[in-house]
Amino acid sequence: MAKLIWLQGSCCGGETISLLNADQPDVLTTFEMLDIEIVWHPSFSLAQGDEVLDLVQEYLLGNETVDIFVVEGAVYTNPREGPKHFAPDGTHLSEWVRRFANSARYTVAVGTCASFGGLMSVGSNPMGAMGVQFYHDQFGGFLGGQYRSESGLPVINVPGCPAHPDWMTGTLGALVSDRLTQDDLDRYNRPRMFYSKLAHHACPRNEYYEFKASAVEYAQQGCLFENLGCKGTLCESDCNERLWLGRTGSCPRGGFPCLSCTSPMFPDGFTPFFETGKIGEIPTTLPLDVPKAWYVGISGLAKLACPERLRVNAVSPTHIDTDESEDN
Amino acid sequence: MSTRTIEFSPFTRVEGDLRIAVEIEDDRVVSAHTSGTLFRGFENILRGRNPKDAIVITCRICGQCGGAHSRTAATALADAYGVVPPPNGYLTANVFQAVEMMLNHLTHFYTSFAVDFAGPPYENDLSQRFAPVKGTSYVAALRVRKGLLGILGIFVGKWPNTLALHPGGTTKPVTASEIFRATGMLTDFRGFVEKQLLRCPLERWFEISSAEDLDRWLGQADHAEGDLGVFIRTALSYGLDRIGAGPGKFLSSGGWALSEDATWLKPGFFNGKTHQFDSEQISEHVRYSWFEPYEGGRHPLDGSTEVSSDREGAYSWCKAPRYLGEVAEVGPLARMVNHGELLALNLLRSAGPNVYLRVLMRFHEMFKLLEQTRVWFEQIRPEEPFYIKDEPKESGIGVGLAEAARGCVGHWVRIEKGLIKNYQIVTPTSWNLSPRDSADNPGPVEDALVGTPVEEGKRPVNLAHVVRSFDPCLFCSVH
Repeated sequence: MAKLIWLQGSCCGGETISLLNADQPDVLTTFEMLDIEIVWHPSFSLAQGDEVLDLVQEYLLGNETVDIFVVEGAVYTNPREGPKHFAPDGTHLSEWVRRFANSARYTVAVGTCASFGGLMSVGSNPMGAMGVQFYHDQFGGFLGGQYRSESGLPVINVPGCPAHPDWMTGTLGALVSDRLTQDDLDRYNRPRMFYSKLAHHACPRNEYYEFKASAVEYAQQGCLFENLGCKGTLCESDCNERLWLGRTGSCPRGGFPCLSCTSPMFPDGFTPFFETGKIGEIPTTLPLDVPKAWYVGISGLAKLACPERLRVNAVSPTHIDTDESEDN
Repeated sequence: MSTRTIEFSPFTRVEGDLRIAVEIEDDRVVSAHTSGTLFRGFENILRGRNPKDAIVITCRICGQCGGAHSRTAATALADAYGVVPPPNGYLTANVFQAVEMMLNHLTHFYTSFAVDFAGPPYENDLSQRFAPVKGTSYVAALRVRKGLLGILGIFVGKWPNTLALHPGGTTKPVTASEIFRATGMLTDFRGFVEKQLLRCPLERWFEISSAEDLDRWLGQADHAEGDLGVFIRTALSYGLDRIGAGPGKFLSSGGWALSEDATWLKPGFFNGKTHQFDSEQISEHVRYSWFEPYEGGRHPLDGSTEVSSDREGAYSWCKAPRYLGEVAEVGPLARMVNHGELLALNLLRSAGPNVYLRVLMRFHEMFKLLEQTRVWFEQIRPEEPFYIKDEPKESGIGVGLAEAARGCVGHWVRIEKGLIKNYQIVTPTSWNLSPRDSADNPGPVEDALVGTPVEEGKRPVNLAHVVRSFDPCLFCSVH
């Protein structure tokens, strides 16, 4: 049996909702097949008030080891000044994060806020919101670079705004069976099995991308990369292969740009959100390993080679059958 | 006379961080204070940014009702820019909001409210039904969410945090075959509602308009054995219709805009008499909030959110919104009352507001939404536009109002030099979980808790019922 404690820092509860959205396996099946016992989760537990303190006391004191400690949301690191985030016992929530992390076999940060600071850390960040072991792309974060859980692993990051439920349940599965090693984590300590592809892969608009047949307004069928701000070519995730909400959707399938929400620099590393930043003719969202000169050349050729079918449909909200219009 | 205090921290199975402190004399609550304990500063984050960033940022206030925030943000920008979405834009946004709300109502009952029936003083068979993670109905409800989620995937791509709602409509045109698929998903959910909850066709439920009708329905067939029947029997035999009154004043903006000036439900303010809804009458007080103080209340367009975290006397990060200077409850009960729903009005007249009525109206609203979503599916014209391009303006003022699961949500934006000068957000739980205002009037939940019986040495489950009947979301209220 694996004991799990889930704590919410500065968050919106979106990871918990996303976890409830899991379908294959769903959240209840996940708990059952992994034999996970929830010691405490703010939404799944019956206990409240002092009952919660009774439940977690031994873990806070370090007398008991929790197998998996999950943090949802950023941690406030400026407890002296400004808004405080109190733990239920009146200490700062950051103190609870530190104490649970110290006795955990694995510590997991779910969502981009817990992983890197995310939305909670934008602007002047008066609360000093940070990820559990990263602050944006800098290793360290709240717990510091030295931290390792009992297993010897650093904090395992499962970012996304929200994280896909499969990324959370799949990571839990790998941890319960002790199959995750340092080599299975990428440079941001994200499990490679979910974060080594690009959101761009399997995007249904890829044929439009190939021929640079771009939408010029929303609700059109063309590619969103050239004009409308899509960052799917930078976003390390498998969203368009895996799909969301019972395998029915994704961001570009919903007609709006990927904002690279699994990245340590989300959100403000990806502005403007709804249009494409460019230097000259070259989008700033070009993948780093694509040579710029080749891009300019290839996209120019691609536009020349673009079939009428794509040219017409890229800027149309509904499908237009170009063969038929020629026949007529 | 014995006096004691109870403090709930954390108050769980609500969205966000909530602390409740009640004073009890002779086993009855005599005063209550509710505190939102997590501040994130969304209004301050938005200042100085591109107005469209509000679509990306405000949905992230809340994982459960972010769609209502993105609708409100898009509406506020549409107002500022003077753009009107095409009919399909309204319809698809309404479908999205309806499904988000049905998901909320379902999840709230099964994973939050009914879970309290799984412990003392309730009988063991309720635990078998409603215990978290294990209860038969809990499991059934979590599993039926999948179908509804599929409708969201088809209509808005991703959720939470879709960016499909823009000032000029929605970014996702839906095809006839997609609507057909979504209709199938909705029909499956209707099957769950009719079998697991009602044990009768939806049409039969809508014949009920009074306590007598309801009683008759409960006695027929095996209606009493469905989850709703069990809830009604339990609530009435444990007196949940006699606790949690609150101020008895109800506010609704109508919600689900059908056009620029029409909403699906009738808006209004009901304080014994029915008044027209006018967003100009909304003000926010900060006397007991951790913000720089000002006199009385301010309209949100002139509102400010300057942190003052060590202020004497303050006890919450929530502001205190008031309508015509009065405390107001928002949410499903408030919507049904203002809409003139007969069942709501008749039960309100006979017993006043209470825990049981609030939960019952949440179900009733879910049933209405289930029917209405089907109507909206049929009204969508796939061959017509879903979106028109907006022309951003350098300056202007925009107001957006919508109904989220928990009640009225409003966004007020002031744009100068093409950037956000001020952005103020008033959420449903700002209304319901508000602290005291400048005149020391308690917020609706603070008011509703007073008088609640709490026996010494027993689980204070009545307090949990009163608070949860409002379905608080502290993520939203503090933002």
